[in-house]
Amino acid sequence: MSTALNRPDARTTESRIEAHGVTMRFGGLVALSEVDLAVPPATIVGLVGPNGAGKSTLFGVMSGLLRPTSGHVSMNGDDVTHRSPQKRAALGLARTFQHPELFSGLTVREHLMLAYRVRHAKSRIWTDLVTGRGLRRPPADERERVDGLLEALHLDQIQHRPVAGLPLGMSRLVEIGRALAVDPTVLLLDEPSSGLDTRETEELARTLVQVVEDHGVSLLLVEHDVDLVLGMCHEVHVLDFGVKIAAGPPEEVRANAAVRAAYLGEEIEQGEHSA
Amino acid sequence: MLSYVLAGLSLGAIYAIAASSLVVTYVSSGIFNFAFGAMAFAVARFYYWLNSQHGWSIWPAAAVSLLVFAPLLGAALYGLLFRHLRLRSPVVKIVATIGVSVALPELVKLILGDLADATAPGLAERPLQVFHPFNAAVNMDQVFTYVGLLVVLVVGVSVLRFTDVGLKVRALVDSEALTALSGTSPSRVSLGVWAASASLAGLAGILLAPTTGVSVEGMTLLMAAAFAAVVAARLRSLPLAVGVALLMGVVTTVIQKYLDPSDPLSGQIVPSIPFAFMLLFLLYYAVRGLAGDSAQGGALDRAIRPEGADTPVVVRSEQRRGWLSPSVVGPIITVVIAAIMPLVFDEYWTGLAAGGICLGIALLSYTLVTGEGGMIWLCQITFAGFGAILAAELAGSHGWSPLVAIVVGAVFVVPIGVVLGLLTIRLGNLYVALVTLTFGLLASNLIFTRDPYYNFGQGTFMPRPDWAFDNQTFAYVALAAFVILALLIVNLRRSTAGLALNAVRWSETGSRTLGLSVVQMKVLVSGLATYVAAVGGGFLALNYQASLPDSFNPFIGLIWLAVLVSIGSRSVVAALVAGLVFALLPGVFAAYLPTDWSHLPTILFGLGAIMLARNPEGAIAQNARQLTDLAVRLRNRRAPQAADPPSGRVDDPAVPATEKEQLIPGGRA
Repeated sequence: MSTALNRPDARTTESRIEAHGVTMRFGGLVALSEVDLAVPPATIVGLVGPNGAGKSTLFGVMSGLLRPTSGHVSMNGDDVTHRSPQKRAALGLARTFQHPELFSGLTVREHLMLAYRVRHAKSRIWTDLVTGRGLRRPPADERERVDGLLEALHLDQIQHRPVAGLPLGMSRLVEIGRALAVDPTVLLLDEPSSGLDTRETEELARTLVQVVEDHGVSLLLVEHDVDLVLGMCHEVHVLDFGVKIAAGPPEEVRANAAVRAAYLGEEIEQGEHSA
Repeated sequence: MLSYVLAGLSLGAIYAIAASSLVVTYVSSGIFNFAFGAMAFAVARFYYWLNSQHGWSIWPAAAVSLLVFAPLLGAALYGLLFRHLRLRSPVVKIVATIGVSVALPELVKLILGDLADATAPGLAERPLQVFHPFNAAVNMDQVFTYVGLLVVLVVGVSVLRFTDVGLKVRALVDSEALTALSGTSPSRVSLGVWAASASLAGLAGILLAPTTGVSVEGMTLLMAAAFAAVVAARLRSLPLAVGVALLMGVVTTVIQKYLDPSDPLSGQIVPSIPFAFMLLFLLYYAVRGLAGDSAQGGALDRAIRPEGADTPVVVRSEQRRGWLSPSVVGPIITVVIAAIMPLVFDEYWTGLAAGGICLGIALLSYTLVTGEGGMIWLCQITFAGFGAILAAELAGSHGWSPLVAIVVGAVFVVPIGVVLGLLTIRLGNLYVALVTLTFGLLASNLIFTRDPYYNFGQGTFMPRPDWAFDNQTFAYVALAAFVILALLIVNLRRSTAGLALNAVRWSETGSRTLGLSVVQMKVLVSGLATYVAAVGGGFLALNYQASLPDSFNPFIGLIWLAVLVSIGSRSVVAALVAGLVFALLPGVFAAYLPTDWSHLPTILFGLGAIMLARNPEGAIAQNARQLTDLAVRLRNRRAPQAADPPSGRVDDPAVPATEKEQLIPGGRA
């Protein structure tokens, strides 16, 4: 697959989210060892590595679902290592999962509505009970934002369908839509293209780049589609057995002998030959 | 002391046999058998029928009961019900087995007859032989319980460890999918497991009969006590279950040595011991984070398991909220029918209908906690009991206005529900069901039976308001209360809190990373459901004009839940229908049909719950969809050329299936 994308260039040096020397042990297993990673505003950072490299574990640590054995995580310079996922979400962090964590009883549209309200009208969780506002038509700004996202992700055709039973690719798009509906400043996407075909992957990549350009979102991306990662990321980090073996611009990583030997070699070569 | 220990080991042996059966069926089929007590009763009653009523001698009667009747019963239940449950949600599994526990004993009574005197012999000849080892006393019934447990353990371990059949059962425990791929039929293995489980249930029932009699209550309490050992074993460890069961039996009898038999409290403490055991283990496991939902089967089983297979499909788009939509018209018609009943019924039937409406209020609490919150609470009837007692105390003893007493009294019950919600927040679905049932049984044993609340079963007098003394006016008061609470629940469902509650129900991880507080949502639904249950209890007391603590037994609550869920746990109108059915159906049978048929309403309630295995959404949702489909077909037949272009809504029943496929990207073009 060829993914030719214009990378956003409005980068600043201060990172929105950073992992400092993060080590994560599960009993005797070292899932992450002294991993450092930073995602500045309006930047797309890719995180790659073979299965079991520790990518999803690092996502868990950065989103607050896992507490690291040592090291710390900061957002906008503040240490958030001991803050809950809810607190980090309130600071602007949103994420998706390798296995989509959807709410089976809600429709596609309701996922986005809920996410929007959690960010922009959280008090409605309580006030709706008294005001009966949930029985009325949602406000225009909410409808506009939700409609825009549904359209951008091509979910408008199935917006009123319960998510239970949706194909994997659509489930991922719903999860991405839900993450975008909170207007995040930091977005962690775990294998967003898995289950999507080539056209859908390209459209998703364009949408994500657009979001990063327009809203200055810091995007951290775990992805197995090497072309996608190398095509849209400003910086790529490579994990192997919990250890960061390389980091830098895609071209550098592409040329890194250790990476080629350890992980990317065959796929890059194949990509080069096909090009 | 030795006599107490030996008696305790006997009791513990029966618990252990029951616990073994529960563990084996759970690990091999993923179903926690709430029908165990009913199965034990059925086999014990059949044994009694052969032995005492038809004069068969002990061993032929036992052999036919345990080796023919019980396996056939287990196989029949597997074929009719359990095999359909493996991939169902926990609530459907629990309610379907509760359905068996409700229907089976009544079916057995219908066929074999009611027993006026439930006292029954066990496996030992009468008169009972008594031995005196080390100056202690052991009777032959007790010896048979030791031998029974020993045989079960030796045969069970031998079969599981050293035979081809045991290997297949252990393979099934690990992965049904891989077992099937290796050429073994999981259905045949499961059928064998359920047949063996029914035999164990029967053995436990027959061994228990000399102590408690051949009664459903005795067998059900045996089952509930065995739950404690199963929970201690974290549902899986057979040796731990047997060990804890024996320990529980010994503690139960030894503690009686130190209790004053003349103190009424002693009679309440002893049956509560297994439940105290269960609470202690649950709390321990909850603190250690070891009581979550356990995944059934292996990786392949999880990969091929259909997600949301029995998820109720509820369309809540703002586009469907017109006044003429089925979701609005249906409830209005139902409420209107309920409102007409007091006008056309005489005083007797109006009284029954009023009771049904009051029960409908209490059932709304299940709509909240199970339908909306997805939490399987089996103690809503206990909250209703608290509400009834408090309201009756405030109104009857302190002169409060009855309605104010109900509304205010219920507020005092809410903290109990909130604390229970907080304590169970880290527990898996099945553990939540067990801990709430245990809480209900403990409250029922230790609080409801205490004077002055109990008062020989009458409870406290609860006066109706002077202006609503007659059944007709009272029925309308209850209906008004039902409608108000139902509207509040609909408001909750449509609100942001309703969306958040739904989110938490389906994915706590997704909810937390979205910024939602799981604790807040669970506390909200726990508190609201507790309040509604307590208000319902207050109205039930107002209906009976007394608090009647015995009517709030948790086992009756299981029937409430079975009736409600079989009609529809997510529908507010289902609560009203369930309440009316529960109250009126026995009246119809009693008034118009022979007395022999008095068991039929309960059998029908149980069968309704059993039907959940085929139709997990409940009768209302299923019928509503069928009616909507019929209307769509009729409309399309009348005006095929006027069909609107696709609206883009694939969930819209108005869109034919072929069009839906076109609307779904990747569907048929």
